[in-house]
Amino acid sequence: MTVLVTGSNGFLGSALVERLAIHGIQGIRCFVREGSDRGRLEALKKKYPDAGIEYYVGTLISRESPVRAVQGVDTIYHLAASLGGAPADMFLNTVVTTKYLMEAVISENPDVKIIHISSFSVYGVADLPAGATITEQTPLEKHPEKRDPYAFVKWHQEKLLLDYQEQHGFPLVILRPGVIYGPHGGAISGRVGLQLGGIFLHLGGNNILPLSYVDNCAEAIVLCATQKSAGVSVFNVHDDNLPTSREYLGIYKRQVKKICSIPVPYFALQFISRAVERYHHYSKGQLPAIFTPYKTANLWKGNRFDNAKLKSTGWTPIVSTAEGIQNTFDYFKENS
Amino acid sequence: MINKLKTAIVGCGQIADGHISEIQKLDCAEIVGVCDLEILMAEQAATRFGISRYYDKFGEMLEKENPDVVHITTPPQSHLSLASAAIDAGCHVYVEKPFTPTYDETVKLIEHAEEKNRKLTIGHIYFFDPPALALREMVSRGTMGEPVHVESFYGYNLAGPFGKAIMSNSTHWVHNLPGKLFQNNIDHLLNKIIEFVDDEQPLIKVFGKVQRTSRLGDIRDEMPDELRVMIQGSSTSAYATFSSHIKPTAHFMRLYGTKNIAHADFVARTLTLEQEPTLPSAIGRLLPAFNMGKQYKREGWKNVRRFLRSDFHFFAGMHNLVSRFYDSILLDTPPPISHRDIRRIGWMMDEIFRQLEEQVKKS
Repeated sequence: MTVLVTGSNGFLGSALVERLAIHGIQGIRCFVREGSDRGRLEALKKKYPDAGIEYYVGTLISRESPVRAVQGVDTIYHLAASLGGAPADMFLNTVVTTKYLMEAVISENPDVKIIHISSFSVYGVADLPAGATITEQTPLEKHPEKRDPYAFVKWHQEKLLLDYQEQHGFPLVILRPGVIYGPHGGAISGRVGLQLGGIFLHLGGNNILPLSYVDNCAEAIVLCATQKSAGVSVFNVHDDNLPTSREYLGIYKRQVKKICSIPVPYFALQFISRAVERYHHYSKGQLPAIFTPYKTANLWKGNRFDNAKLKSTGWTPIVSTAEGIQNTFDYFKENS
Repeated sequence: MINKLKTAIVGCGQIADGHISEIQKLDCAEIVGVCDLEILMAEQAATRFGISRYYDKFGEMLEKENPDVVHITTPPQSHLSLASAAIDAGCHVYVEKPFTPTYDETVKLIEHAEEKNRKLTIGHIYFFDPPALALREMVSRGTMGEPVHVESFYGYNLAGPFGKAIMSNSTHWVHNLPGKLFQNNIDHLLNKIIEFVDDEQPLIKVFGKVQRTSRLGDIRDEMPDELRVMIQGSSTSAYATFSSHIKPTAHFMRLYGTKNIAHADFVARTLTLEQEPTLPSAIGRLLPAFNMGKQYKREGWKNVRRFLRSDFHFFAGMHNLVSRFYDSILLDTPPPISHRDIRRIGWMMDEIFRQLEEQVKKS
């Protein structure tokens, strides 16, 4: 069995390559860009010599480059996406690249199974009541243009794949992880709060953090990919025993470093968001509308999460949340 | 007379966002359509900015929307053909910098616009940034005396959003420009100089190099990232620095006049003046620091007042340029940047890249 992994040298990508190797996949084709950092993949090549880890060097911002990459593979794990930068560039590097990948798939390998890594951010939860549980049946966002650029591009990326699937009928598995974290990952999630100068605005309060430890997430991807199903399958991905944002920040302060934080309750955040949005319009965009009531309701209204469908595949966390946080904060402390 | 200009954008990459935002602030214009070869890019721009129509065929957009003005924000290799098509369709054209890849194409485009009597401008946004406008006013008041020398500095962050896009993609159009990274940026260096060096073809001496140590094994390794240019005109000289390594990533110009030296900082948006000490001896060495402190304080408060008036936007220079360009269309007055200046910069860029190429051949 040969598989293709896009975004293979990223934070989740390299963890996925390792899980694939552990599961005995032989023939892991890693799509990497010219000149990209392959340090972690090189280490995996040495650690798992039988996994057949190989590089396909190219770019997804090209119609030609993915053509040979998709030939002869049984499964494509599509992780490549832009996490930051200018909105147009994020769109180009996430949605347009997905289009070019799918054009290659339809032309060269139309029956291949696609495993797409989406995001919780595609759900439209602003209109749901506080405390509503997000499941795979939760409606998708109706106004992605009102959300942050990441949510906007991930929504369009998933819609594009669903449109292709509807037209061509290949098996499509969509995983929607919450906050992927772990050693080598980014710092504190925006769901917890925002660093403003020397002060950390703690926005999450009692919101539950939908954490997904990077190895648990990678394991979920491998297991969901092996499910026998035609059409589209969707799985939410997060761990068990999830902490609240406040608990997470408390552990961070105790174990990594002391930071000056100001808790901002939801009602106050909504008030601030309205003021920021009004000022953004009044000043004709002199300051960006980083907070709007709509964005705030989507992130901090107090949702609950459900991973029952993921568990029905036989998935259980290989690293507990307590251990995952410990590993992550140990890494942060060593590298701060 | 037209009261509201119908505007269209072709090329929906990063810089198009800036154009759309600034046009949407103006009462005298409305964006009627956006276009990109990749329809998804056109759609995303239309969706995010509430523009009702988007296209992947430029000709179709021109035909259906019949715009008065077209902003060309595509890679420069396509500027001549797109701008010519827009001019032929009766549009006035704002061309993002660099104007065209070569001087010959620049001349062709200008001649075409002149022949068809259409207005043409180039995206020299910092020419209309608040510090540049303040310096121009200072010069016109005679504060500087006669200009003797100009220094222009433009720092570039290769790890920034534009830099990352270039460095992460060996097929990025920047790598196929004759002057590569420099060509995409040194308009911002040179337009500060040509205002004071009035010669058609001044003497130019160029030094360029690749300072990066990491090697990627492809065309990106050939991209020079440090440039120094010395320019000698008949009455004024200039020195230009483009640097991708000097931190902080500064952006300023200094005008050396027969009376004073002015320092225009485009990052801090300040304009300060260095003057002859008015007091003798050691006392004369004491006061300038306080004088500079006073000037920076004044400039800082000026910026605060602008901010409070909502007049302190990131793309202030672009806003001023677009506004002036549209006024020139509505009032049928000369465009804000002369065709002569666009041509002169085109010539200087060709000369700089010719010398760099010679250096590479020799080395």
